[in-house]
Amino acid sequence: MTENSSAGWPRPIDSILHGATDYTVGATLVTMFPRLARIEGTRAARQIRIAGAVHAGYSALTDYPLGIVKAIPYRAHLAIDAIGALALAATPFVTGQFRRGRDQWVPHVALSAFELSSLALSDPTGRGDYKADVEAVRRANMEDPARKIHEGGLAVTPGAAATNGGATAAATA
Amino acid sequence: MRANVWSGRNTVQVENVPDPKILNDRDAIVKITSTAICGSDLHLYDGYIPTMKKGDILGHEFMGEVVETGRGVSNLAVGDRVVVPFPIACGQCANCRNELYSACENSNPNAGLAEKMFGHPTCGIFGYSHLTGGYAGGQAEYARVPYADVGPMKIEDDLTDEQVLFLSDIFPTGYMGAEFCEITGGECIAVFGAGPVGQFAIASAVMLGAERVIAIDQFDYRLEMARNKAGATDTINFDADPDVVEQLKVMTGGRGPDAVIDAVGMESVSGHAPLQAIERLKQASRQETDSGAALRDAILACRPGGIVSVIGVYGGLMDKFPMGALMNKGLSLKTGQCHVHRYMKPLYEHVKQGHIDPSFVVTHKLGLGEAPNGFETFKHKEDECVKVVLKP
Repeated sequence: MTENSSAGWPRPIDSILHGATDYTVGATLVTMFPRLARIEGTRAARQIRIAGAVHAGYSALTDYPLGIVKAIPYRAHLAIDAIGALALAATPFVTGQFRRGRDQWVPHVALSAFELSSLALSDPTGRGDYKADVEAVRRANMEDPARKIHEGGLAVTPGAAATNGGATAAATA
Repeated sequence: MRANVWSGRNTVQVENVPDPKILNDRDAIVKITSTAICGSDLHLYDGYIPTMKKGDILGHEFMGEVVETGRGVSNLAVGDRVVVPFPIACGQCANCRNELYSACENSNPNAGLAEKMFGHPTCGIFGYSHLTGGYAGGQAEYARVPYADVGPMKIEDDLTDEQVLFLSDIFPTGYMGAEFCEITGGECIAVFGAGPVGQFAIASAVMLGAERVIAIDQFDYRLEMARNKAGATDTINFDADPDVVEQLKVMTGGRGPDAVIDAVGMESVSGHAPLQAIERLKQASRQETDSGAALRDAILACRPGGIVSVIGVYGGLMDKFPMGALMNKGLSLKTGQCHVHRYMKPLYEHVKQGHIDPSFVVTHKLGLGEAPNGFETFKHKEDECVKVVLKP
């Protein structure tokens, strides 16, 4: 068992926590963020609102536990996250709006950094901090899970405790 | 000796630790032959139960052979084969005399901590944080068993370890959950969670004479075990259709089950994506310790005047508890850590008489050294894992 992921560092964010973050960040960018960043009414605010809406939109289409229409594979979602983060960071410099002041490019770059950090900590398998060696478990297992679950009949006699009047009666019998 | 110790959130490891010693006259030392990973161990593993310390030995489901006894233990002898109940109980306080063993007033040396959390202290529990006494657990080669004149039950026949091991916790816990439902014959019982405790709650409801038992889970293989082995008559996979309350109503002619058992507890998940997102964020940011996804549905689904039986472990505070539904439907809420001592002998009789074979839940039997892999496999539901038994 290794403590770190194959990337060489811990990636504790599983697909559920990643999804929860997606929706929260998406909603925040569309609603409160421009006001909090004091860029309301500017081109930067519009760009960030669009980024938030797009993010929430493809999150809803992702095949992870919090997705609604599970059309986009989770790994593809992560790739879109990365491309989107880089595109957001580049936008002020492509449009030239960075010349109008720090508030026209710092939010983009900060959000991009947040997104990339979150990606670095997200496990691409979606299992988060999963670190067992399933093959080793299968080799060491002295039971056969498939047989235990799928074969054979009931392990309990219906009504057996009712006939005896329950557990207490069985104890005193 | 070797033992499986907690080393931080999501990390356990098998280490060499000092052997246990007799500390009190009423202690015994047990050489462990079988021990299990409990679903509630995952709450420790996932970091939801406070007061764990690095190096704490885990495990509260174990059995083995007595190798040493204190001077005050006259009911056990060296060589006896015993199953040890997870609550540590003195047998003499007011609660123990009333068979409320998991509320023993004397066995938790850190009673002050538990009292701050819960208003009154809990009993001591093997390997279950310093909130419950900081006792070394049973995922080890040996364990010290306090109050050994009260807890351990002798096994004097040739039943296998796997057939009697679960008398230490999950079988009595599941049975108590079903007993709370006051089954007299013919009832419809819904059981949230088809993990090991849920399987025993289902099997117990079947044993007690319930006519219909509906198992609810998100994993098909666990639902299949519930149907094939435990005797569930119907199943609901909430991953396929998250509206469990509506499905239960449809299955019961709009009335709702007579009683509902919550065998999930504090890490329950919702099939509704937005609700699950909110719940997960609140837990991850420690805005609440206990997820209410299963318990809310249990309360909303239960028929008016019915019983909600809670045997899943909760540790602290839950947001949005539907008190209005509980009150206005006149539901009875019954809950508790299982008073295992009360149930061990009667349920042992049922096992001996062949009414139930508790070994049906064991999907993984591993050496103690595989405990870290066992925890991960169980936590992530890999390899159709339902229950892991470790062999020291």
